[in-house]
Amino acid sequence: MLKIENLTATVGEAEEAKQIINGLTLEVPAGEVHAIMGPNGAGKSTLSYVLTGRSGYEVTGGSVTLNGEDILSMEPEERAAKGMFLSFQYPVEIPGVPVMTFVRTAMNSQRKLRGEDEISAPDFIKKSREIAKQLKLDAEMLKRPVNVGFSGGEKKRLEIYQMMMLEPNFLILDETDSGLDIDALKTVAEGVNAMRSPERGMLVITHYQRLLDYIKPDKVHVLSAGRIIKTGGADLAHRLEAEGYEGVVGEAV
Amino acid sequence: MSTALRDLIANPNAAELELIARYGMLPEDARRERAFEAFAKGGLPHRRVEGWHWSDFKASLPVIETPAQPGTAQDPLPADDAVLFSFTPTGFTSAESLPEGIRVLAKPEAQAFGASENMPLGALAAALAGGKTKPGTLMIEVTGQDLPRLHFRFSGAGEANFARVQIIVRPGAKLAVSESYLGGAGFTASLMEFSLQAGAECSRTVYQRTGKAEVLAATGAVQLDEGADYRQTTLAFGGKLTRLETRLTHQETGAKATLNAAYLCADGHHADITTEVRHGAPSCVTRQLTKGAVLDGGRGVYQGKFFVPRNVGQKTDADMQHNALLLEEGAEVFAKPELEIYADDVECAHGNTSGALDTNQMFYMRQRGITEEEARALLTEAFIAEALEEAGELEDVLRVQARAWLAR
Repeated sequence: MLKIENLTATVGEAEEAKQIINGLTLEVPAGEVHAIMGPNGAGKSTLSYVLTGRSGYEVTGGSVTLNGEDILSMEPEERAAKGMFLSFQYPVEIPGVPVMTFVRTAMNSQRKLRGEDEISAPDFIKKSREIAKQLKLDAEMLKRPVNVGFSGGEKKRLEIYQMMMLEPNFLILDETDSGLDIDALKTVAEGVNAMRSPERGMLVITHYQRLLDYIKPDKVHVLSAGRIIKTGGADLAHRLEAEGYEGVVGEAV
Repeated sequence: MSTALRDLIANPNAAELELIARYGMLPEDARRERAFEAFAKGGLPHRRVEGWHWSDFKASLPVIETPAQPGTAQDPLPADDAVLFSFTPTGFTSAESLPEGIRVLAKPEAQAFGASENMPLGALAAALAGGKTKPGTLMIEVTGQDLPRLHFRFSGAGEANFARVQIIVRPGAKLAVSESYLGGAGFTASLMEFSLQAGAECSRTVYQRTGKAEVLAATGAVQLDEGADYRQTTLAFGGKLTRLETRLTHQETGAKATLNAAYLCADGHHADITTEVRHGAPSCVTRQLTKGAVLDGGRGVYQGKFFVPRNVGQKTDADMQHNALLLEEGAEVFAKPELEIYADDVECAHGNTSGALDTNQMFYMRQRGITEEEARALLTEAFIAEALEEAGELEDVLRVQARAWLAR
């Protein structure tokens, strides 16, 4: 599914550019959920932006393939059409563009890029209604401009709503638990777990182990200074929580 | 032409000589003469004249000629249910029947134009409107309320198109007016005058879309009596040089004015939105919102002024906002918001911003699969939409036009 090999990447322009990813290698097979944990500044968010093609993040070496296809040469929207989805740590407000318009435009744009037909209005509305119900989202909220005036929890639930609407192949959740109370966290995790399938891979980026109690990972990787320095099972997350990154990172060095 | 006429403008260029010649062909008329003199004093306004620095008509209009490639815009504003008046370079047509509550007089002669000194191109329109096939002044008196919209269309290929319309809205009457400036003539100059009497209401929608060759000066002069309510919405795409100018005076207590505009300029298009509002009476309200988006090679100009005299402008409530989006490198926007306030008990605010599209928003949209072009169009449409919200039944038409431009 997603294969990252010896990836190096910088952030910033020209002489200001700083290497943040330092030879990262990682493979997430279809059907698996992998967690990436690491201290602040380890490169967690940078990795999510490099994978989704944000400008200002430049790959200087290595490769990333999704189902064997090189994605690094693709525009962000092409990667999205191939099934890459990033749930943002800080979802962006888009004044003047209602949620429904936004998601329908995105869905049809992806379909067009894949050479598929547009979704019909009734099908779209039906699907939206079902997913909104599952996520306990108010129908009124979907008529409002994207994320404008939404609480932190609402923004995160809206990310999951978009994910379930767009049905991507590969999900990256960047600090999805931040800013969520326990009930919102459960709702979000249920949404994510509903997306688990043998064809789909997930990368869950998180600072704390709390989210992983609800979204059980197959593997946990520890990211430090832009490289994976340790890989283990779900229990590794608990050790990190108990011993701190320093203990585990120290042991690995 | 006679030497006396030729001397009216100092160092005239070919275009100014042509304007003098056109004036010389019109029948003698003292009021027309005064209007032409008001124009001729400075000739075509140019960069060294205050208020015209960014929109130089003398430079943009060396000669007056039929454009080789005139714009071919269709009129998007529906006219089926409206009362249509059409001005072309060579003629004028008017609706055959009029509903009760609207009286129309096509006067051959010019009417006095009081503020001609401040509006040289308005004065020019007043001086050159008329001739064999067109009215010198189209006078319209409105006394009704549930009336069809009056639609004024300025189009047709030719050298020059001049028009003057005076609209008087009697106390308590209600009117909707729309104008489409579609180009075709090398030079179009119009003067639209609105006088709203006590408690009258008028909404005005101005649509401007021409090719890259046309020069346009559309001047609006508005006077509001007690409690009158005037709402104006403009959508401009620019041309070689287009200026949509509005001068509004609150002359009695409690009048209200909304002056909104959006401009979208592509390569080779220059759109100038200029307004001046005089709070000449207490407790009047002005709301002004101008939004623009400009591509590489396009040029947007916004000049807004609120003038509040010391003795008469107390309790003025006025707000002026201009926000511009520079969509590409090479886009140009020039803005001059001015508040000139001498009264001490007023609430006046203004804001002026310009910048690029938000990169966070762009990336967020593209990550969801929306192409760069489409993301840009959606964000730009959302950005300018607020400036079109007061256009009533025409809001959707304007949005469709803006969207089509953005989606090119």
